[in-house]
Amino acid sequence: MNTRHNHLPFSMLLALAWRNLWRNRRRTLLTLISISLGFALAVMFIGIGDGSHNSMIRNAIKLGDGHLVVQPNGYMQSPANYKFIADGQQINAQLEQLKIPASIQPRVTLQVLASTASNSVGAALEGIVSSDDPRVELLRGKLLQGQWFESSDKRGVAIGEGMARKLKVSVGSKLVLMAGTQQGDTQAQLGRVRAVFKSGIEELDNFLVFADVSFAQQFLIGEGADANAYPVTKFAIFLQNPKDVQFWKNRIDMTLQASQTVVLDWQTMMPQLLQFVMLDDAGNYVFLILIMTMLVFGIVNTVLMSVLERTREFGLLRALGLKKHQLMLLVLCETLLLSLLALLFGWVLGGGVHLWLSIHGLDLSSMMKSGTEIMGTFMDPIIYTELSWNRVWQITMVVFIATMSSGIYPAIKTARVTPVQALRT
Amino acid sequence: MENLLKIVGVNKTYLQGQIEVHALRNIELQISEGEFVALVGPSGSGKTTLLNIIGGIDSVDQGSVILNGVDMTTMSESALSDFRLYQLGFVFQAYNLVPVLSALENVELVMVLQGRTATERRQRAEHYLQLVGLGDLMNRRPAALSGGQQQRVAVARALAAGPRLVLADEPTANLDSENAGALLDIMHRLSREEKTTFIFSTHDPRVMQRAERIITLRDGMITDDQRVLTAT
Repeated sequence: MNTRHNHLPFSMLLALAWRNLWRNRRRTLLTLISISLGFALAVMFIGIGDGSHNSMIRNAIKLGDGHLVVQPNGYMQSPANYKFIADGQQINAQLEQLKIPASIQPRVTLQVLASTASNSVGAALEGIVSSDDPRVELLRGKLLQGQWFESSDKRGVAIGEGMARKLKVSVGSKLVLMAGTQQGDTQAQLGRVRAVFKSGIEELDNFLVFADVSFAQQFLIGEGADANAYPVTKFAIFLQNPKDVQFWKNRIDMTLQASQTVVLDWQTMMPQLLQFVMLDDAGNYVFLILIMTMLVFGIVNTVLMSVLERTREFGLLRALGLKKHQLMLLVLCETLLLSLLALLFGWVLGGGVHLWLSIHGLDLSSMMKSGTEIMGTFMDPIIYTELSWNRVWQITMVVFIATMSSGIYPAIKTARVTPVQALRT
Repeated sequence: MENLLKIVGVNKTYLQGQIEVHALRNIELQISEGEFVALVGPSGSGKTTLLNIIGGIDSVDQGSVILNGVDMTTMSESALSDFRLYQLGFVFQAYNLVPVLSALENVELVMVLQGRTATERRQRAEHYLQLVGLGDLMNRRPAALSGGQQQRVAVARALAAGPRLVLADEPTANLDSENAGALLDIMHRLSREEKTTFIFSTHDPRVMQRAERIITLRDGMITDDQRVLTAT
């Protein structure tokens, strides 16, 4: 009995597969073009999706309380004017000791009643250090009237266009801000409107009143805070590298363990935004799956046709001594080469478009005239595509697995070829 | 001469639609090493089925096929593949070659599967291609060769792998008389020089003239088996 077994070197398999792939040049090229185009589209759409999400997140972080916020325990669950960090000076010193590569902004956030002679509306007073607050940086470009107040301006306030309309005020008008204390008293401060902005975000334009932190601190002093201890509601931390959120959250957590504060990241503070991004991502994935499904059928069709055309040849190879699994490997190798070529062309095409759009951006301003507000933040009208390495890997693997799996059925079909039947055809 | 092939009580039935066709009935046959045998008979007499069974690419319903002392009917599919690779050579009626490989690569293919070294493969392939008169055309792909040339490449491939037995199913069916004669001459010469056994099926009288033994099949049965003096 013969115990020798056959050997089909991988190099031979690849050479055969490569030549088989180009037997029908036009068909292979058409298939390659369709996969590459689908792939390039997927890369582009995912790049646009990620770019717009990241732009929304960046703006939300800038307009909100940064990547990380240090605030009193329980403040997030039920915010109240009497919940504040009494010894802001000490917390600030502790944060500075950590040498966090970030901008740390002390803020006072209060619920107040804004009144003029004409009207009164509920408002949120935001006491900030206006010289370097990222929010100011963003809103300075969206002023309708006046100039943003300076840090030395202890009475200046900036309000949104919606609030200005309701209160019938303009630059130079007086604005009385009133707040109740925990003891039931009422305290008031007089401000003067220095600027009116229009961010396009209803929440900001209708409810926010910006003032210097020292102006807002007067209300905390009215709640019993020590003016010398620099009382604040929170410290908003804007990291230079957003990827370090978890690292710095843990460090700050450990450092401030003894204090009555809590460190929250932006995902915890803005769960709706995170959900929206995830939902939108899911939509993108459905789109990707649809494209992949169409591609898979296209490839199955191409590979299956090429396999069915070669039934006799497979019968011959089986008669000569090739085994079932070697024929399967041959067909899978053809699919592998097709898949690798498609990935290469797809990345050249999709990657090229992505690179161009990541530099020059996709200008959607004409489509976004009615406003760009989404989930309490806004999307830049020019979207710059973004793709993380993680995404590159994900997309590549999805396309690779989809194209490879489309070779399975034709490969099984090939393995079922019996020499005697094939040679009869 | 030593006995190479022994067929004992082989029966084979096909279902053609609803009809049962007895392709082979109680075949008993012995072929010795180095014989040049023609299987003849009208269409549907069972020539191709018998060749396929000898080649291990079709199964028997009953009986055994013993080649070189090994009963092929008891082998697994995988073992049969290996057995074919080392013991048998095939020349089919047409489409014998892999279209994407050159003549040289086609001849080398079986030797690649056998695990021979690249140098040995190249030497043997070139040697046999020269023997069949294709020394100058060995780098051409099948599409650039005539039908007769393609059949000669198939003969070179079958012999280069060093089989004990070469099976040829109507190898001249698609060739004109000049090419058919040339192919037969080559096969006959190599059978003698290489001491390789050839069994081929044919209805072609030109092929029959060159056979040393003619086995006639009719309705799946051997009706005649005679040794003849060859014309060459």
